[in-house]
Amino acid sequence: MKLLQADDIHKHYGGAQALRGASLSVRGGEVHALVGENGAGKSTLARILAGSTRADSGRILIDEQPVTIATPRDAQRLGIGIIYQELDLFRHLTVAENLVTGSVELQGRRMDEFCRPFLDAVGLDCSPRRMVSTLSIGQMQLVAIARALSTNAQLILMDEPTSALFEDAAERLFALIAGLKRRGVAIVYVSHKMDEIFRLSDRVTVLRDGMTVGSVETARTRPASVIHMMIGRDLEAEQREPRTSGEVVLSVDRLSTAKLRGVSFHLRRGEVLGVAGLVGSGRSELGAALFGMDRVTGGAIHQSGTLGLVPEDRRYQGLMMQMSVAENGTLAVLPRMQTAGFVKRRRERREMERVGRQLGLHCRSLDDAVSTLSGGNQQKVLLARWLLANPDVLFLDDPARGIDVGAKEDIYRAIDRLARGGKGVILVSSELPELVRCCDRILVLCEGRVTAMFSAAEATQEKIMAAATNAGDAN
Amino acid sequence: MIPRRAQSLAALTGIVILAIAISPVAGDGSRVFLQLGNLTDILRQISLIGMIALAMTFVILTGGIDLSVGSILALATAVTAMVLTRVAPGMSYGPHILLAIAAAVAVAGITGVLNGAVVATLRIQPFIVTLASMIGVRGLAKWITRNENIDIGFGQDVAAQFATVFREKAIVIGAYACAAAMFWLMLARTVFGRHVRAIGDNEKAAQYAGLPIRRTKLWVYTISGLLSGVAGVLYAAENHQGNPNAGVAYELDAIAAVVIGGTPLSGGRGSISGTIVGSLIMGVLTNMLRLKNVDSNLEMMIKAVIIVLAVAVQRERESA
Repeated sequence: MKLLQADDIHKHYGGAQALRGASLSVRGGEVHALVGENGAGKSTLARILAGSTRADSGRILIDEQPVTIATPRDAQRLGIGIIYQELDLFRHLTVAENLVTGSVELQGRRMDEFCRPFLDAVGLDCSPRRMVSTLSIGQMQLVAIARALSTNAQLILMDEPTSALFEDAAERLFALIAGLKRRGVAIVYVSHKMDEIFRLSDRVTVLRDGMTVGSVETARTRPASVIHMMIGRDLEAEQREPRTSGEVVLSVDRLSTAKLRGVSFHLRRGEVLGVAGLVGSGRSELGAALFGMDRVTGGAIHQSGTLGLVPEDRRYQGLMMQMSVAENGTLAVLPRMQTAGFVKRRRERREMERVGRQLGLHCRSLDDAVSTLSGGNQQKVLLARWLLANPDVLFLDDPARGIDVGAKEDIYRAIDRLARGGKGVILVSSELPELVRCCDRILVLCEGRVTAMFSAAEATQEKIMAAATNAGDAN
Repeated sequence: MIPRRAQSLAALTGIVILAIAISPVAGDGSRVFLQLGNLTDILRQISLIGMIALAMTFVILTGGIDLSVGSILALATAVTAMVLTRVAPGMSYGPHILLAIAAAVAVAGITGVLNGAVVATLRIQPFIVTLASMIGVRGLAKWITRNENIDIGFGQDVAAQFATVFREKAIVIGAYACAAAMFWLMLARTVFGRHVRAIGDNEKAAQYAGLPIRRTKLWVYTISGLLSGVAGVLYAAENHQGNPNAGVAYELDAIAAVVIGGTPLSGGRGSISGTIVGSLIMGVLTNMLRLKNVDSNLEMMIKAVIIVLAVAVQRERESA
């Protein structure tokens, strides 16, 4: 019996098409894995079903009846609960207050009594009066699940629930999911970790580029074929002029931080080192650690030059959106473009124009606010900042994410030129073809550890994906 | 779309036209509002808070706020008057006056440094840090004066000479004009001005770009203290006294001028010319209402409406 059926769901954010005809069919009481690469549209689909985002078009049926899910309240009424990756709890309220939000009649002991069965159901052994902010992430997740149960949810969506959990907490979650399933609650489990998917799920639906590629019985497939469905076509071999690499400019020895566990590698001048890994694998934290933004708890970093970092989130970590193209580009090098504290504006323009040409930057005027540019051109402005700063090592965190194909090519060329100019480049990317195309070597991170290191010649998308999802553990 | 700067200028023009229209008519048939004496009175009246607002613009651009400016002004009036009337009685007038001004501005500057140091290194919210120093510095001003005004006489002594010179309209307005020009240059043309805007726009990105965030913040609060000090010196001359209770609520008037001028409290965007226009709007409004003998309580209510309207108009344009 079909509990939920979603057909031909479309959704766009600005110019980006997040979903273009996704579908999902969930049976009562099953654990259904929803998988796909970063940006495939998994979370968007989950949010639409939970009523926190509205679809542009599409059809949703619950128990074969067409329904409209416009708000989270609609979803609740229809028996759909969601556990967000970032856990939308009120941290400064108690556990019980989080469970009963919305019904003010319950107070004091009656509130505790109301909560008890749901807390028992998820196996959370703490006072309902405890402040949520004092709980561990794993316990908070249990509170969120208890809250979903308290609204009588027949279907619970879990968006990458283990991404913030340590192993023992993840084990407890898996046991809980099995328990929920026995009670007849269906779970949609959004993830891209192969080991978990094959352990937990009855069926798998694969999304790619906002479309549903297919659904299969988990028992009748293998991690390798699911991965193949996720990444689609095989990569045609790109020809790249060979580069020669020089002396070691950066070496990292057993580096540990809150998110990294004993990461070691070295980087030579003239080399592009790729870093593959899923979101949350520690790949961005590697940059933060190298740049001194995260506290290093162990290991050592030896560098024989300066380091530049193009952060992952250009909007929040990179650009000053209200400032102009030129101002953003030259921000890191103003000390060398000044006399007596005054900016040499002519020189600023000249250098910015030069770098802009190199990168194929399109803007009406260098005085335009960066916020008026397209994503690709914004990324080029950020890249221009570091080309001008001219560091020996450049850490690029997913620089081609979410930008159009032409701009991507411009960025790949810039990376190649940097390496040929004797720089060491570290390129983090979610897109495996991009890594294979740009890099000399590819390091794979999973849960803060280096799980593989491939040369460009031996790297394939399947091998990288397997190392990044720890698929080895599932077999 | 009308640029932000032109918007506040349009608002100013509107208020000026209104002021001319409703202005009382003098005996010779001219509008009182337009008399040279009245216009320069307006400039003189806005000069002190206008000066503080210039520095406040920098503070707000970094995403901060400085609530202590009124208290610092009071402390500076007290130091000026004390040095003139109680310190080094035998000194010749010129150096004595310079000493008084230097002492007042230095004390104000040090207070600013303390604000800046706490904001930049302890990373406590600027609102709280400067709220504390607003209270503490007011206490200090009252304590050193034993909560009494220190009068500057009208005779021939050094203090009286100081007051005579520094309450001249030309000096006061000139000081404001110089400060305005300097601040405009600083924001529009210097590396420091860039850093100020960049930090307010996106502090995380500023950190990644390797900008001197602490140093910039330290300077911004120091400059705010210094300007409050200069305003304090002028206040002491104008009112012929060092007054530990001076400048109450000046911080709010200065902040109002900044936001009316189009600089949002979230920082990152704004201009000195906007702040000048904001100060002028407040000044013309006050003048217009006083010429009409409007009750000063009513005046406050009208100002309240103007502040909200000015910011509301800017917000609307933004989202359009």
